[in-house]
Amino acid sequence: MTLTQSNTIEQKEVFLELTIDGQTVQTRPGSTVMEAALANNIDIPRLCYHPELSVSGGCRLCVVNVEGYPNPTPSCGLACEDGMSIQTQNEELFQTRREIIDLFVAEHPLDCVTCDKAGSCQLQKYAYEHNIKETSHAFELPRTLYQDDNPFFVRDHQYCILCGRCVRVCDEVVGAHAIDFAGRGFECHIATPFDGPMKDSACVFCGNCVQVCPTAALNPVSRMGKGREWELERIKTICGYCGVGCQLEYALKDGEILYAQATSDGPVNGEMLCTKGRYGWDFATDPQRLTSPMLRRDVAYEMGLTKEDWTLPEESPLKVRKPNIEDSFVPVDWDTALDLVADKLADTVKEYGPDSVMGLASARCTNEENYLFQKLFRLGIGTNNLDHCARL
Amino acid sequence: MTNSIAEIRDADCIFITGSNTAEAHPVISYEVIRAVKRGANLIVLDPRRVPMVEHATLFLQAKPGTDIYVFLAMMHVMLREGWANEAFIAERTEGFDEFKGTLEEYTPERASLMSGVPVKQIEAAARIYANGERAEGKSAYIGSRGHSAILYAMGITQRSNGTDMVMTLANLAMLCGQVGKPSTGVNPLRGQSNVQGACDTGCLINVYPGYQKVTDDEKRKAIAQTWGVDDLPGEVGLSIVEAMQATAEGKVRATYVMGENPMMSDPNTSHVEESLRKLDLLVVQDIFPSETAFLAHVILPAAASLEKDGTFTNTERRVQHIKPVLQAPGEAKPDWWITGEIADRLDKKLGVERETEQWLFPSTEAIFDELTKVTPIYAGMNHARLVGEGLRWPCTDEEHPGTPILHVGKFSRGLGKFSPVTANDPAEQPDDEYPLILSTGRVLYHYHSGTMTRRSGPLDWVQPRGYVEIHPEDAAAIDVLDERAVTIESRRGSVRTRAKISENVPQGTIFLAFHWREAPANMLTQDFALDPVSKIPEYKVCAVRLENPRTKQRSPKPVMEM
Repeated sequence: MTLTQSNTIEQKEVFLELTIDGQTVQTRPGSTVMEAALANNIDIPRLCYHPELSVSGGCRLCVVNVEGYPNPTPSCGLACEDGMSIQTQNEELFQTRREIIDLFVAEHPLDCVTCDKAGSCQLQKYAYEHNIKETSHAFELPRTLYQDDNPFFVRDHQYCILCGRCVRVCDEVVGAHAIDFAGRGFECHIATPFDGPMKDSACVFCGNCVQVCPTAALNPVSRMGKGREWELERIKTICGYCGVGCQLEYALKDGEILYAQATSDGPVNGEMLCTKGRYGWDFATDPQRLTSPMLRRDVAYEMGLTKEDWTLPEESPLKVRKPNIEDSFVPVDWDTALDLVADKLADTVKEYGPDSVMGLASARCTNEENYLFQKLFRLGIGTNNLDHCARL
Repeated sequence: MTNSIAEIRDADCIFITGSNTAEAHPVISYEVIRAVKRGANLIVLDPRRVPMVEHATLFLQAKPGTDIYVFLAMMHVMLREGWANEAFIAERTEGFDEFKGTLEEYTPERASLMSGVPVKQIEAAARIYANGERAEGKSAYIGSRGHSAILYAMGITQRSNGTDMVMTLANLAMLCGQVGKPSTGVNPLRGQSNVQGACDTGCLINVYPGYQKVTDDEKRKAIAQTWGVDDLPGEVGLSIVEAMQATAEGKVRATYVMGENPMMSDPNTSHVEESLRKLDLLVVQDIFPSETAFLAHVILPAAASLEKDGTFTNTERRVQHIKPVLQAPGEAKPDWWITGEIADRLDKKLGVERETEQWLFPSTEAIFDELTKVTPIYAGMNHARLVGEGLRWPCTDEEHPGTPILHVGKFSRGLGKFSPVTANDPAEQPDDEYPLILSTGRVLYHYHSGTMTRRSGPLDWVQPRGYVEIHPEDAAAIDVLDERAVTIESRRGSVRTRAKISENVPQGTIFLAFHWREAPANMLTQDFALDPVSKIPEYKVCAVRLENPRTKQRSPKPVMEM
């Protein structure tokens, strides 16, 4: 789905018919040749074009031949017309595109052997497809700024090809407009206002710019130097934060998450995520994670598991600056903990009745878990004293 | 949500109220921004100048708790100007005549006086919303009336009249026929990954899975049969806040908490703590030693959502499959395993014998299959069908494709019912002693009680410390400077944090997020007046005062405006 496409249901379906590479293609009025081609699995090389963003037409890689047009025309901005005949691949287009890539790599280091993006870099892909080992022009690096001013992403300007996808996603989708083109000619680069630190800009660290960047100009900090694209295991799941339910994919190496990103087939979020979803997963491996069932020291003493008696401090846990769970709890095995809970619940039900027990389920647990939890209360204990944080 | 997230980008008018969309639901805000870039009108009604206001055509800054007058006045204007959708009202709704009469007294002039929103803004909002007017560009839809969608969140529901507020928004949508079509509807944005699912599966005091009332004998007994018994409890239980009261009184003796942190998230923390300390048994099952865990007798280590298998239901009713990405640390186990084990052992201690296995499941898939048997809105689902885009309830049989838009052609109950609503003010109003209003909420980089996000390196880097937003005039009144310490006091307690002087809050209102354990906002919030139907506490309005800890100056009594 793109900015220009809509989900219109009520409008009457009107279709245009055109031919792309000899294939007859139907499309809606207002769509571009690029959109019509992609919808029919016809792949046109592209760098600045992104299906979720407006058309920029800057990279020229997506040029196609249109019957009756004297010159190759960029397909990303070309409106479909009824009866149009398009060619996306031929020797002339190949040479045109090869020259464009040649110019790109005249100012883009070809150090793919150490680059984190190698394997998913779009420029690398097209250089390979067009058989470019090095530039035939004089190599000159106009942009050398390296900005690692935040723990979310690194901006390495030497890899930037000025496609402007990051600028467009920040403005058109996120609405932050934290970055834009600054300077002219060789000075041109993507910048925050006055080239200040990212944190002082309007940036909300959603990382959607990193997601749409075709090269290594924007890379997540968490993955730098930790693995090559083809070594990573990828697992698709649903984000655990808010109720939007974004689909995302974790890239892991040796069981460690290197980064998270959206996938283009996410039914809710497409290729977009927010800062929590994209960067907030490292809590899972925090050393404070609970790793064993535990009993409070006074309970453990009563059961003869510890030698020293203990009483719960009167001071609120909120007042303790850095509370340490081991000061008040001792680890036990699962059987001890589960039997104790079942014992005490049974005693309470027998002595005070089922309505003396309360359950708080969780809006962060799965449907299956919440279902079983409410069943425990209703069937196992016999009460409807059962609530969760929907109200909070 | 009655409608879909993806439809928002095609709306002609979007009306956001009581939702800080850009911070609490950023990905939904992207859809709103796309719509605005294509020429849709955005109306924001909120006491705070939330980030979405930057993109709005119209910002109605109503004083906290007075938005109800604005909604009623908008409907008053719609009827006066003939903007109501009479055909829709006649065909699809009932109770309109009675309802119409109740609107007469709620004039825009009165609303303006109460809320501080100019009459002209109320009239413009009524016109734009009712007719689905665009700012520019062509609508994606044909027809004389554009499509308007309402988005709301806890700013509407966390109020002592929250149910009335939601009904008012439903009335507003029905009055204009802005429901049952794409890019329209009344769309609550839900805050947590599976809050929709926890409600759907019946973790509520008054309903069994699939919103089947506990008091409905027939439905309850049908569920009982599936579970192998004759009947199940048929009386409405105690809500969280009521349970805290009952615990203080000694009526509740044992509490089992799964993945929740009431010490941070429930109103009136001192009272919550007092109650929890009285329990004979407090079991806390969590991924981190939360503030609540420190008061527990037993702590059970759970696997995080990144470490387990199952399903989540999102705010647009989409049931999606989650997959394990990491291994759970140490002996941590999925919550379903722990709960099943406790239930099985409890049966044995109570001497209950069951004919068929009720607790020990081999997989989450097996649990889901049982769930769909007792949950009619999930009846057509199974894990295999959820692959890819998931399914949206109601999905009543295995051929059913799911339901993207609710109330198409007819309402779930048949005819849409207009429910007359009277404007009620918040339970605790500012007075001479506590002259300011406190509103609580969230910030972009943190989530709920902060257990997860405050342990995330990048997120905590942006916002490592709590703060309270104070209007420059209110700060000047006690000589507090930006970034300096300030104490907030209510009748329940006090917290100290740093001041962030900001015109994003109106004079007389302060805002404190509830993520910070060093400055727990819920020490201040009130738990005495809940919404009578939904039992939601009024997190969005309570009376407070500020104190400068250095000079001991306190917020002055309000000056009467003449």
